[in-house]
Amino acid sequence: MTMEQLIQELKEHLIEELNLEDITPEDIDAEAPLFGEGLGLDSIDALEIILILEKNYGVRLANSAEAKPVFYSVKTLAEYVMQNRK
Amino acid sequence: MRCFVQRVMTDREVTTDLKQLIPDAAMRRRMSRVVKMAVSTAVECVGGVEQIDGLDTILTATGWGCLADSERFLRNLISEQEQLLNPTPFIQSTFNTVGGQVALLRHNHCYNVTYVHRGHSFEDALLDALMRAADGQGAQMLVGAFDEMTPSQHRIMERMGLFRTWKDGEGAVFALLTACQTEHSVAEVAGIDFPSEGLDAAAVHARYATDERTKVIWNDWSIAGCYPTASAQAFRKAVELIEQGTPEVIVYNAYQEASPAVIRVRWVG
Repeated sequence: MTMEQLIQELKEHLIEELNLEDITPEDIDAEAPLFGEGLGLDSIDALEIILILEKNYGVRLANSAEAKPVFYSVKTLAEYVMQNRK
Repeated sequence: MRCFVQRVMTDREVTTDLKQLIPDAAMRRRMSRVVKMAVSTAVECVGGVEQIDGLDTILTATGWGCLADSERFLRNLISEQEQLLNPTPFIQSTFNTVGGQVALLRHNHCYNVTYVHRGHSFEDALLDALMRAADGQGAQMLVGAFDEMTPSQHRIMERMGLFRTWKDGEGAVFALLTACQTEHSVAEVAGIDFPSEGLDAAAVHARYATDERTKVIWNDWSIAGCYPTASAQAFRKAVELIEQGTPEVIVYNAYQEASPAVIRVRWVG
């Protein structure tokens, strides 16, 4: 799977699992922040994203300190998955 | 004890767009069908989201709670072997989700209680409203009931043979009540009672009616179908009859033929 395909798939998982109404994968800027601004996600969504990574890619965050840069955008999530997927 | 009905409505009477009634997109996207149904009915009943600010009491009633989210959470628990559980259905499956979400829409921290008592849940909430009014509180009270039917619940009830006699049902009903009569009052809740034994129509009339033109609504699931808070629909019907000129209506909730509940609704004059 290429990086572009993974980004597309992650966007689809986010829309589906977080029930992002009226949003298509094309509406999500892969480099925009996921939390606060951008999609405006919150801490409950962060827990849902952890589950998306683990269930679909077998990726577990090794420690909570690395969560902030990894969860910054769809692109940073995809890069982390690429490096750590099983 | 008494209080006054300013407005009462069911989910089928909601006409305003959901995005207007629940403007917070993050809240909206986490809501299940029953939560959207109940919260939108509650908000339209009070007259819009800003009117939640004026409430000093929020009382909700449900027999089954947020069933779809509860089922989702439990299925998840089994399929994921108690690991990797999604937080949203767990958070949203609690019985007090609707009361909480209504309050959170405007950060209203008023008295907020949910009653879960099978077929008596609505009457218990209404009793609390009457006691609040008698206690000198309850200037603006939102009281409502909701329940949803899910495919699995439907299957269970079908196997129990319940649909041989009644049709299935679900719905939300919300009422705006006040301790004092206002120019907008459409009816008075004049009393509530929980008789210790089942009564027939003649006994209900003899014990509770104060006018020969009093009508009795028998909530035996024939009005709104078979679900725990169907008596709230009968209460809605009672207020409608009062608005049409009936001086008094008795709602008799014969839930499963045991421990009945009686609501007396009267014309405000």
